[in-house]
Amino acid sequence: MNETFRVFARRFAAAAGAAVVLCGTSPPLLGQVSTGAQDSAGSDLSPHSDGTLLAETRSIQPGSTFTVGLHLTLEPGWHTYWKNPGDSGEPASITWRLPPGFTPGEIQWPAPQLISFPPLASYGYFEEVLLLVEIAPPPGLAEGDTVQMAGRADWLVCIEDCFPAEAEIELTLEVSEGAPGLNPMTEGLFEAVRADLPLVDTAWSSFARFKEPWFGLKIDPPADVGPVLESDLSDVHFFAAEGNVIDHAAEQHPDWDGETLVIRLARSGFSDAIPDTVHGVLVIARDGTGVSASAVAIDAPVIVAGNPTAESGSSFGLGLALLFAFLGGLLLNLMPCVFPVLSLKVLGFVEHAEQEPGGAARQGVAFGAGVLASFWVLGALLLLLRAAGESVGWGFQLQSPLFVGAMAVLFFLLALALLGAFEIGTSFTRFGAGEFMKVPSRTRSARNTTTRSFASGVLATVVATPCTAPFMGTALGWALFRPPTETMLVFTALGAGMAAPYVALSLSPGLMDRLPPPGRWMETLKQLLAFPLLATVLWLAWVFGLQTGVNGLAGLLGALLLTGLAIWVGARWGGIAARSPGRTIARISATAIGFAALILLVRAAGVVPAPDAAPAAESTATVWRAWSPAEAAQVRSSGQPLFIDFTAAWCLSCQVNERVVLNTAAVRDAFRDHGVAMMKADWTRRDPEITWALAELERSSVPVYALYPGGEGDPVLLPSVLTQEIVLDALETYVP
Amino acid sequence: MPLRHTFRDRSGAPRPLPKLNLLEVKMHRSRIASRTAVVTVAAVAVLLSGQQARGQSASPTIGEPAPVFTLPDTYGAEHALADYRGEWVVLEWLNYGCPYVKKHYNSQNMQNLQAEYGERGVKWLAIVSSAPGKQGYYEPEAMNEMNEEKGQRALAVLLDPTGVVGKMYNAQTTPQMVIIDPEGTLLYNGAIDDKPSSRPSSLEGAHNYLAAALDEALAGQPVSVPTTKPYGCSVKYPS
Repeated sequence: MNETFRVFARRFAAAAGAAVVLCGTSPPLLGQVSTGAQDSAGSDLSPHSDGTLLAETRSIQPGSTFTVGLHLTLEPGWHTYWKNPGDSGEPASITWRLPPGFTPGEIQWPAPQLISFPPLASYGYFEEVLLLVEIAPPPGLAEGDTVQMAGRADWLVCIEDCFPAEAEIELTLEVSEGAPGLNPMTEGLFEAVRADLPLVDTAWSSFARFKEPWFGLKIDPPADVGPVLESDLSDVHFFAAEGNVIDHAAEQHPDWDGETLVIRLARSGFSDAIPDTVHGVLVIARDGTGVSASAVAIDAPVIVAGNPTAESGSSFGLGLALLFAFLGGLLLNLMPCVFPVLSLKVLGFVEHAEQEPGGAARQGVAFGAGVLASFWVLGALLLLLRAAGESVGWGFQLQSPLFVGAMAVLFFLLALALLGAFEIGTSFTRFGAGEFMKVPSRTRSARNTTTRSFASGVLATVVATPCTAPFMGTALGWALFRPPTETMLVFTALGAGMAAPYVALSLSPGLMDRLPPPGRWMETLKQLLAFPLLATVLWLAWVFGLQTGVNGLAGLLGALLLTGLAIWVGARWGGIAARSPGRTIARISATAIGFAALILLVRAAGVVPAPDAAPAAESTATVWRAWSPAEAAQVRSSGQPLFIDFTAAWCLSCQVNERVVLNTAAVRDAFRDHGVAMMKADWTRRDPEITWALAELERSSVPVYALYPGGEGDPVLLPSVLTQEIVLDALETYVP
Repeated sequence: MPLRHTFRDRSGAPRPLPKLNLLEVKMHRSRIASRTAVVTVAAVAVLLSGQQARGQSASPTIGEPAPVFTLPDTYGAEHALADYRGEWVVLEWLNYGCPYVKKHYNSQNMQNLQAEYGERGVKWLAIVSSAPGKQGYYEPEAMNEMNEEKGQRALAVLLDPTGVVGKMYNAQTTPQMVIIDPEGTLLYNGAIDDKPSSRPSSLEGAHNYLAAALDEALAGQPVSVPTTKPYGCSVKYPS
């Protein structure tokens, strides 16, 4: 037996002499130990363990609550259980026999340990545990009375096999009018155990999102805990307070992103319903170094990411998704970034129809193949990133300032070429641009032409990426949550849609014949088409500015300036017609300036804006609150209806919807009149929280407009093309 | 846990297979671009199917076909779940060494249930998923003696020393109870009653989930409480 006694017991032994003095009956503290010991008949009531009742104070005061503790000691290797025992087991319990008027409180449970027996897991304690119970005495006690607290403690003691254990517990305390002194035998013990109880602190905000079969538990700890979580997550574990909420044995994959601790909890196989709140204890660090508390009580409200009711197009099958993707691809052709490029491609036909009949068809097919291949690569890239755990959605490419800046430079170059600032050199031609720019006829083999058509398909796709057509977001958002084959089919349909007009034209001689004959109008048109491209540059620069601040924007404009300079130097002195020695120097200079532009761009893209220069700092900020999961959960749990605008600076349709619909006086008044809270989730930069929130709405791109009617209801998703009527109708219907 | 997934497949849940994509690779070998794309798709499919498998809950789903199995009883006769098509089946996870099981056997509570529902045509199969050397495991001969001693009234006591069948049903404790309807659909998986205690006195006033669910099911009604958190000793799976 003696080996089961550890720290506490040694202290008691040392203080044994005081026991008689302290407690009326002799010697109650250690006396309990002996009652638990095996009797000669071998029927041990508390095998492999003992249970005794300890007092914190040497006396009790009428009317003021005092604390006692059930002290369980276990043989090495044996364990007993927490209030939720986990997959198997049973928590300790006390059946009290208290004098009249005495009211015992609940057992206060210290944070447990995970006891793993794969595939099962339990929550419990090894060696020893002190379970505190507060007892409220009645007011009318007379000084000098003795009061006997008695009861039966039951607990289960297990190594792998289990034994029920029980002990009669008893403690006699004197009543004294004065404030009770501490029991010297247990001095410091109760305080220590109390300090280790899971901290209850509102500074730890939390909520859980449920999406079958996981709870995503998100916890925002106070700032001082950050460094601990930064350095070590190995002790972090969430212990659910109820037995049928989470799978106790499942890996929890704690993840710390610098602000939020995310813990993934698998749903219990025995849960009948999703709870409103996940209760439990979060253990942060076992040894407690560097933290104000080693364990924290968590009561996380649960948001069920249900199947949102959509106003349009949320739950469509593969067929409809493919149709939308195809239409979206078609629409891409009309976007200001793609239209000029594609128009030039058509101009190319006008020329080729003259030169080599049949060549157009071959080129058309090659171009289509280029588009399709690019979409496949894009789709596969997106799937791979997501499979690797990256939280990315459609439009992810525009969340990178470097990509946005590079696109701005590319569009700027294309515009310069269209304006005739330079003739496309051979290296540029290889990227397919020469095909658009209609390089003066040089001898090319048919194979070369085909390759170039393929490359121009790739280029068209690249320039199309900043422009997400309204239908595209819906189809892609759907596709990303389907099996990979379906995702790739949707990307294929998108590419097919984009290539369709051009391929159709190239394959039908009838249409080709109706094209006007080549002439000077082509040159004029080309120059005109430079301006939509420059408008695209303007827009990209704005996005870049939102991402990197005014310094970053200046850097990008500097890079554009240097690009222009490089082109001018190269074209003025480095052209084919220029004289030989000067030409080399000019080309080297142009390349050097180009390099400088590149370096400037990369540096500018790395600029992080000052916090107050962050996106969405507009005049409308007073109406729109910045979205955060915790705030949204708070609003929802208060019963207030909530509208969330998932948006991004680089999303054109988002900008249009906001200007034309959401920020109009009529709509804003309607929101106010219906008492709807308005939040804006800005996805201009990468934000895993928003990506996650979108994923729960089964979307992967913006815009998304989610209207949460007050109460428990699922969100209503509005269409991605908004009108005032749509929004007002939705408010009338869902938030009457 | 490869075994779990193998059985999951047999129970009918489809799993995306990357094989198809590999075939496509052969067909398009000459076209480098499409081949690259297809290989990428295949890689993605493998990655995602792996993720999906990890994401699956370990429990069989209520209302879905119960996982099929074949186990020998203590006399060496094979019992396949498929053989019981058309019959109501109860599975009971059993470990005679467990105090919680003792509560139900020493009080005759379990035997009475076995007898009562056995007479109403329910095929009651007790399953021992204890590993050799662990609590509750007995060689068939010794198990027969134990059954005799305890007055076991189940139709058969099946031996699952590898724990494979226990894990298929997410059997966590002894006792744990499962109901399967004549179509082979899982109707209930969980505790025997609502008193998670080993004390015999806890039987008084306990609400028996199994009996309630069986009564509803046999009367042609839906089971109102199809799952509860089982309680008891852990199933003594092989380490």
